[in-house]
Amino acid sequence: MIGERRSGQFVTPGTPLAIIEEFLPGPGTYVEGCYVYSKITGYMLLDTLNKKVSVYPAVKSPNVPTVGSIVLGIVESVNFKSCDVSIKVVGRRKLSGSLMGVLHISDASPHYVESVFDVCRPGDYIKAEVISNKNRTFHLSTVDRNLGVVLAFCSRCGYQLSKENRRMYCKRCKNVEKRKASSEYWVLT
Amino acid sequence: MEKSEKPLITEDGLRTDGRGPRDLRPVKIEVGVVKNADGSAYIEHGKNKILAAVYGPSEVHPRHFALQDRALLRCKYHMAPFSVQDRKSPAPSRREIELSKVIREALEPSLFLEYYPRTSIDIFIEVLQADGGTRCASITAASIALADAGIPMRDMVVACAAGKVDGHIVLDLNDIEDKNGEADMPLAMMPNKGLITLLQMDGLVTQEEFKQMLELAMEGCNLIYQIQKKALKSTFIKTVEEV
Repeated sequence: MIGERRSGQFVTPGTPLAIIEEFLPGPGTYVEGCYVYSKITGYMLLDTLNKKVSVYPAVKSPNVPTVGSIVLGIVESVNFKSCDVSIKVVGRRKLSGSLMGVLHISDASPHYVESVFDVCRPGDYIKAEVISNKNRTFHLSTVDRNLGVVLAFCSRCGYQLSKENRRMYCKRCKNVEKRKASSEYWVLT
Repeated sequence: MEKSEKPLITEDGLRTDGRGPRDLRPVKIEVGVVKNADGSAYIEHGKNKILAAVYGPSEVHPRHFALQDRALLRCKYHMAPFSVQDRKSPAPSRREIELSKVIREALEPSLFLEYYPRTSIDIFIEVLQADGGTRCASITAASIALADAGIPMRDMVVACAAGKVDGHIVLDLNDIEDKNGEADMPLAMMPNKGLITLLQMDGLVTQEEFKQMLELAMEGCNLIYQIQKKALKSTFIKTVEEV
């Protein structure tokens, strides 16, 4: 079943790579029966020293955030204790759809905040880090200086807010609001 | 479709398009043709021209369709109004809805859906030109699109039909043979595992003929699998050289 093989060989999903007695399954592989198979399209890596076979992907992996990913999203709904974020960008890659994330008040800011309404409001663009994917939910954090709201809109008139000192100011209706703004707050002209 | 006066298989054993009974139509596959999709493929299987695109994993909409333990696989097979001789209504027909289900179920066993709970993976298949055996070509194309999207798979899925025409067992029926022949049997399988994921049949055959057809269809699948692998390989080897 397994013919001639070498490291760097191009493999497609389902290609048998080794017998389980020969090699341990590494990333990009799976075991069924007595064989190690590839589960992605890529290049086979045979680690003869550690007796491990893995597949280095040739295709982009599915755009799903992992713990530590920096994501960009839109705030969907806000409660006192948490808010829902619709994740649109993971790292530098845009999602073809979106994924839901949750930002809890305890992960929103390095300081004490009264409610999540002082962190973000629905419609805001927010940059956050994924800190956990427990319970199949992406838990977000905006504690870091460069994380937080990157673009906010006035909740009275809808005009974009500008960051002035530590407050968010609406140039159109002179409204002043609170946000946990990122140090990378966008300046739109 | 016109009822052919000519015999479907001539005395020399050649078919309407000049193929032998065990010959495949020429297959051409391109990978990554839809820029905005996560994965895509284009297949030309004889006169069939089919585009498949994969999106996801992403949020399920409407939300209550989401599955808590695995990804939801959704498939939409659609024929373009200009894909057949008489204009086809662009609205999904009963046949298209059934084919969507059949294709989804043929692909489902090949995917590790449990890796992406509460998300959906959407496959869109657009038939631009049809000439018999679109479901088989669609499955082949969709499987490549899934591989291109990087979704973990147990194996590729390939499909090919076999049938009985004018008393002969033949491989890869075209539209005329499908409509005027005695039997048609589409088969989809995971070639490395030798597992069948789709098996349908219409018409009447004997048990012995069924066995022959099954064997022939599996042979055809293995031939297409080689083309599938080559298509993926040439796409990515080329990208490496460009970098």
